[in-house]
Amino acid sequence: MTYTYESLPAYDNLNRFSFAIDVHDSMFIRKGKMIAYYGNLRFEALGSGVFDMLVQHAFNAPLYVNDFVIVTGQGKLVLGDNYNDINSYDLDNGALTVKSNHVLGFDKNLECKESMLKGYLTLLGTGRFLASSNGPVLFLEPPCRVDEQALLGWADVPSPYYHHDYSYIKSVASAVGSMMGLTSTGEERQVDFAGTGNVLVQSTELGLLGQSALSDILARMTGLHQNELQQLQAAVAARLGMTR
Amino acid sequence: MPSYSLTNEKLLQVVAQNDEIYSKRGSMIAYKGSFNFARAHLIGGSIQQAAMRAVTREGLQLMSATGSGEIYYAHLGKFITIISLNGETMYVESDSVIAFDKRLRADTMFLGNQGIQGLIRGATAGQGLFTTTLSGRGELAIISDGNAIALDVTSDRTLFVDPNAYIGHKGQLTSTTVFDVSWKNLIGQGSGESFQLKFTGTGTVYIQASER
Repeated sequence: MTYTYESLPAYDNLNRFSFAIDVHDSMFIRKGKMIAYYGNLRFEALGSGVFDMLVQHAFNAPLYVNDFVIVTGQGKLVLGDNYNDINSYDLDNGALTVKSNHVLGFDKNLECKESMLKGYLTLLGTGRFLASSNGPVLFLEPPCRVDEQALLGWADVPSPYYHHDYSYIKSVASAVGSMMGLTSTGEERQVDFAGTGNVLVQSTELGLLGQSALSDILARMTGLHQNELQQLQAAVAARLGMTR
Repeated sequence: MPSYSLTNEKLLQVVAQNDEIYSKRGSMIAYKGSFNFARAHLIGGSIQQAAMRAVTREGLQLMSATGSGEIYYAHLGKFITIISLNGETMYVESDSVIAFDKRLRADTMFLGNQGIQGLIRGATAGQGLFTTTLSGRGELAIISDGNAIALDVTSDRTLFVDPNAYIGHKGQLTSTTVFDVSWKNLIGQGSGESFQLKFTGTGTVYIQASER
């Protein structure tokens, strides 16, 4: 099906991997995630003068100031994030904490703050926001324990803590064993949630696709044939020779 | 006349009756009926066109399947989209084409023929200086990371596209590259959307939710 300006939804997924927004006010989006737009839109870096007042209110995360831009104007915007799933969430006077590089965009009514936990952002207030994930999102209710790599975020639950399996703690005691990595199962440490609320888990332990060119290449190597691998090797060798 | 349909979003079925189907080399995963498979060099065109493809590396890595029955095509789990051409020309990177047949005429186009803007588009979209064109009446199928999104451009609706998300376009479209460069880019405070392809005219632009 072909979308026109009129048939693009005002605020909805076009498919798992892309999201359309009718922009008539300003909102925050992650830098570089615009894949197309109709109309008259402007993308402004944060703290570029005109929007300082807005930023003061809504954006309170100086560490991430270079990751986001403000989109303003009138038009229809399509967002995509490297073939990652995109989901929208409604917050009603709530608090949602999400891994910072998964935050794709949010209303300017929401307050965005750095979480106490490194690498997480907390969004407070009433409004809508978008998050990307590698694979569809699973919603869990506490009590639950989640693999840290697969954890996307949590809403309205008390701050989580780490849970270590007893066998792991025992192996720390036997220092040699842990140093050799012999007793490691890769699942000794989980994030533990208690209380009421929602926990968001993505369907893979891998990070977002497209975070770096290298991770993409490595992820796609499985699809290569022998002769293609040889071509890759030759290309890498040529490149190394060139830069030397 | 071959008929194209999607078995699922990653699997293309083509039903043929004494037809010749061109497809990306190695993308046939199953077939019923009787077909002869061969490397396709001329794909219905002239030797000159084939030579052009070879020289410009817009070498559609194609094979042909001649016969009757049904063939299934897939490529590395990518999403497939069927596009109908009704006399228009489709401009697309050869890597993105998975199947078409001899109802369409394949050609290689030097983007410089569209002037300097064509060259800039090729460079910014990572397409190089040449692109493949398919024209005529019939179907073709393209592959993309995630579902391809088709966006219409009309005389009063201009479309802006991230060059990295661009797959191809059909119809009477003019593309220009818009630079949104200001002093902020120089101090690393750019908006991350400094290059945009601007499409004007009448036609359809295909994009994917993945920046190459």
